[in-house]
Amino acid sequence: MITRLLLRVVSWSVMAYLILPLLVIVGSSFTATSYLAFPPQGLTLAWYGRMLGDSSYLAAFGTSTLLALVATAAALLLGVPAALAIARCEFPGKKFLLSLLMSPLVLPHVVLGAALLQYCAALGLMRSFTALLVGHIVIIMPFVLRSVLPQLTPEQRALEEASADLGARPMETFFLVTLPQIRSGLASGAIFAFISSWINVELSIFNTTAEMTTIPVKLFNYVQYTIDPVIAAVSSITIGVAALAIIILDLTVGLHLLSDRR
Amino acid sequence: MSAAMNRALPLLAAPVAFFIAFFAVPMIVVVSSSLMAGGVPSLGNYARVLLDQYHWDVLAATFRIAGLTTVACALLGYPLAYYLVRVVKSAALRRTCVILLVLPLFTSNIVRSFGWMVLLGRNGLVNDALVGVGILDRPMRFLGTELGIVIGLVYILLPFIVLAVGNALAAVDPALEDASSDLGATPFDTFRTVTFPLCLPGLMSGIVMVFTLAVSAYVTPALLSGGKITVFPMLIFQQYSTVFDVNYGGALSMTLLVMTLVLVGLAGWIGNAGATGRKAQ
Repeated sequence: MITRLLLRVVSWSVMAYLILPLLVIVGSSFTATSYLAFPPQGLTLAWYGRMLGDSSYLAAFGTSTLLALVATAAALLLGVPAALAIARCEFPGKKFLLSLLMSPLVLPHVVLGAALLQYCAALGLMRSFTALLVGHIVIIMPFVLRSVLPQLTPEQRALEEASADLGARPMETFFLVTLPQIRSGLASGAIFAFISSWINVELSIFNTTAEMTTIPVKLFNYVQYTIDPVIAAVSSITIGVAALAIIILDLTVGLHLLSDRR
Repeated sequence: MSAAMNRALPLLAAPVAFFIAFFAVPMIVVVSSSLMAGGVPSLGNYARVLLDQYHWDVLAATFRIAGLTTVACALLGYPLAYYLVRVVKSAALRRTCVILLVLPLFTSNIVRSFGWMVLLGRNGLVNDALVGVGILDRPMRFLGTELGIVIGLVYILLPFIVLAVGNALAAVDPALEDASSDLGATPFDTFRTVTFPLCLPGLMSGIVMVFTLAVSAYVTPALLSGGKITVFPMLIFQQYSTVFDVNYGGALSMTLLVMTLVLVGLAGWIGNAGATGRKAQ
């Protein structure tokens, strides 16, 4: 009984620890004081107004969104065929290939960022959108593979073979049989990929400039010098985007985490 | 064999070409420039990294912070995972908690560390609370200490371990635990001999994930160190952003990469050895 109680207390303390900083940021973005105050003193939307009036924040939001969308699309276009080949075909070096494609998950992003800075500088692409984009594609591809691969099961393959036996061309089989079956894996892979790109700092920071920057990098550079409620407002927007992504994920595919329903 | 190759090739051509061009080759460029000094092949950069006591101090701080973070994550995350999977009965409550667990993961490190900069400040909520309750006489300095960095990193990495352990736990059939208690085992014995060993692979993968991410973390330490503590990724960033010494920076990058991979490999090996050892029993 004591253990139960202790477990309950520890668990709820840990949950509180996880939520508190986000609450503090959202709360202090409404403060009427010129410094960050939590609990907020007064209530104002002025900091959001200030943010919307600053074109550099809007530009950074634009860059981040465009980058995450294009990188996710590219990761799907490259990742889904790769997953199909890995799940469906036997070829030498398959294990090695899979670990190569998954390795950005364990590779320190700072190392990859530095490598891409040096490499893209040699190609004349230094600190360009392309340099950012290729890096983001590399680090988000594992998320696509990880959620699509488990859905390409032998049972699902039998359906593809049936489709081919009935005379469907490979493309028809892919779009009419395979794709509908891996839809939920694609959706969750895409959302994880999008978010990983949207929140990345360690990789982006190498190839951004003062004019072309993503929202997390802009926040990072700003927070080191000044802390004011504008930062809290911008941060709150990114928390909002994250919450939206999770709710979409939960409503469309369902977050089947921590439950035995699989 | 060749038929399979013929089918795989068109699917793999684009992704493999992309990974070679923008992942493998850039990494090779870093390795090769780390092996050059003054235009000639040399191991001088590595000597500079490895023979300097300062680098060892930074490495020690980096691994100490990462180690403490990992231990704290495991100690806090395991009970929460157990509670959410085994104790919480309401599916709606569990679902809400899962959403709240994933929300921090979907939020930038910057935003989350920034929350702690506010909370851990001299006049922040944490100090106010500790002084108010009477645990501290006067505000304690968190920012610029290893403790502050650990608090921030644990916060950022905790969901990984909760999800890894929780998913492993959810896959364990409760009937096994029931059988154990029907046969007379105490709840603690059941946990020790049935539940814990079955979740060990999940715990190990969570630990490896947390440790690698903690060793390579740049943003959180940079924001919470207040310029007073240096971790290894900061050295790399300095070389590429301000000094632009790609040879020396490359050697630093490779040092961090090799150390991380060795530790990941070691953890995987220990995990496997533990699993097979238990099977043999």
